[in-house]
Amino acid sequence: MSPLGTVWEIARREIRERGRSKAFLATTVITLLIVVGLIVLPNVLGGDTSEYTVASVGEGNEAIVDAAELLGNATDEPEDEPSVSISIDPVEERDAAETALDEGDVDAILVNGEEVVVVSVGGFGDSPLLGLLQRGAASVELEAVVAESGQVAADVIDVMTSDPLETTTLTGPEAGDESRGAIAYAGLMLLYLAVLIYGTWILSGVTEEKSNRVVEVLLSSIKPWQLLAGKILGIGALGLSQFAGTIAVAIIAVQVTGAAELPSLNAAAVLNLLLWFILGFLLFAVMFGAAGSLVSRMEDANNVAFPMSMIAVAGFFVSLEALREPDGLAAIIGTFIPFTAPFVVPVRAALDSIPLWQYLAAIVITVGTIISLVFVAGRIYAGALLRYGGRVKVREAWRSVSE
Amino acid sequence: MLSLTDLHKKYGEVVALDGCTFGVARGEILGFLGPNGAGKTTAMRTIFGLVVPERGQVSWDGEPISADLKRRFGYMPEQRGLYPKMKIHDQLSYLGRLRGMPAKAAAAAANAWLERFGLAERRLDPLEALSHGNQQRVQLAAAMVHDPELLVLDEPFSGLDPIAAETMSDILREQAVAGKAVVFSSHQLDLVEDLCEEVAIINAGAIVVEGNVRRLKDAAPIRHLELEIEGDVGHLLDTLEGIRQVDSDGTRRTVIIDAATDVREFIARAQEVGRLRHFAYTSPSLSDLFREAVR
Repeated sequence: MSPLGTVWEIARREIRERGRSKAFLATTVITLLIVVGLIVLPNVLGGDTSEYTVASVGEGNEAIVDAAELLGNATDEPEDEPSVSISIDPVEERDAAETALDEGDVDAILVNGEEVVVVSVGGFGDSPLLGLLQRGAASVELEAVVAESGQVAADVIDVMTSDPLETTTLTGPEAGDESRGAIAYAGLMLLYLAVLIYGTWILSGVTEEKSNRVVEVLLSSIKPWQLLAGKILGIGALGLSQFAGTIAVAIIAVQVTGAAELPSLNAAAVLNLLLWFILGFLLFAVMFGAAGSLVSRMEDANNVAFPMSMIAVAGFFVSLEALREPDGLAAIIGTFIPFTAPFVVPVRAALDSIPLWQYLAAIVITVGTIISLVFVAGRIYAGALLRYGGRVKVREAWRSVSE
Repeated sequence: MLSLTDLHKKYGEVVALDGCTFGVARGEILGFLGPNGAGKTTAMRTIFGLVVPERGQVSWDGEPISADLKRRFGYMPEQRGLYPKMKIHDQLSYLGRLRGMPAKAAAAAANAWLERFGLAERRLDPLEALSHGNQQRVQLAAAMVHDPELLVLDEPFSGLDPIAAETMSDILREQAVAGKAVVFSSHQLDLVEDLCEEVAIINAGAIVVEGNVRRLKDAAPIRHLELEIEGDVGHLLDTLEGIRQVDSDGTRRTVIIDAATDVREFIARAQEVGRLRHFAYTSPSLSDLFREAVR
């Protein structure tokens, strides 16, 4: 069998055995449920009407509440449920109304159309009711001012909530920047997640083979680099299809529910993201694989994953900086460091702020690093796989293979 | 023919192999013996490139061991290991394919071995569902599924009950008869004596005894003497020259003695001391040779 045929055989076993495992099926289903839930639920819940009750003490409150309700529903489409519904609860005494407010029976108190009483919630979750009542009161006053010219409150509110200026949006680099940034940011998050999730899979997959000692049987027939490459390709392919499936389901859910507007993508942008996604994933996968060979027990796997996770976190932060200032020093330095390039370069490219030569240089550096890492990792892997007990030091593993 | 020639390997300051040289021909079963830590596992690992020696060569029919050649060998490591959650049939046919068998042939070979071990009905069970003994059988099948020309087994008898050990012996004999070269390490010397015509004994990384068991015994500079007598044995033994070792089991003494010593006079003296109940003078057993070699 050809050397690559062996790699494929190993990759295929990973895909088949792992793909059939309960753990894989369970995480896939749970992830999909969470993603769909996060997208669909707010949409379902968001359709409901916000209901408020206002205690009315004294005179002159009804007009304010009516105006507030109109304002709250001003942007609704005619067929929608109203967004806001405010009911009035007349109360004789202010003290009684305050008791009701304390107990949560009413959401606010209006006193003689001149004062509004609300409960402080410590700065969090201030309800929009206060704003609506203030603006309602303002429009009532405005109505009084314009009463002589015969306008009615509803017309006033119409004018206040309309967009009188016709809007013309120009397409072009300036106008599109926001959605490009969003795409770059999304790509970045996805790479970061994929590296951490599936990198850990590869790491534990390697440690597992070492801990159940099957590795000695395998290595009596095949070469360490074939085993490492097969595991990375197999687990990578399985993990990334789970990942792609989740993203596809998320996109469908978003489109069906209309929860958000998806930015339009062009082929170049997709290719750019995909290229760097694969490069970044391979780079980290090779490192995770080598790290997994250093320990014999699953319990120790987390310790050796730590340095890689830190590198990924660092790459992520440098790329956030690149998103803020794509021509900045951090972005330029990050472009030429192979461990940050997969995070930084796609962001700069998406924002059109990377010279072609830098883009190409980054590809060369990253691909070169991946290839050298395969050999370095392969040797560490070969040297460490048959050493059991505690954690094998990288240097020891390196030295124990003399070729 | 497998040849290991002048292998040297150090782990830091620890010398694992120190000029280790031995060979095994097709159709031969070689018992590879040595005390713990003598270098048996290290030597076996060098055959598969799992350990790369600093010096020396391993060859098969005069050729250095290449990646392709390795696939024609079968190995059962001392530390048993397969995938616990993988079905045993899938596991065996996977290993067959890894060693270059076409998928169909690998699946058929996996079935044949499971049949042979009485595990045909459990072919879809994961390894972890099997008893310890059955897991050992699958492990052996894993080493042989691709019908290797050379079989290297590290402690194949450890942990086997007498019946399973008998099956293992039968299989190794069968493989040798079919023209395979077989090497295995063991501490069960009686079993090795029973099974092997050839042995190699390693001590401190070097082979100290190698060759045909029969000839080694005959050529050994020692003899095995068993003696049971009514009377004062201690005094009697003092009169015997060239004693290397004495073990006692009740009234019976087992003595390792120089081959040059003439025991005929001794028998006469023994009969004077008391009634001679048991007397045996034989070539040394393998275990005598072993103890003599690694002392």
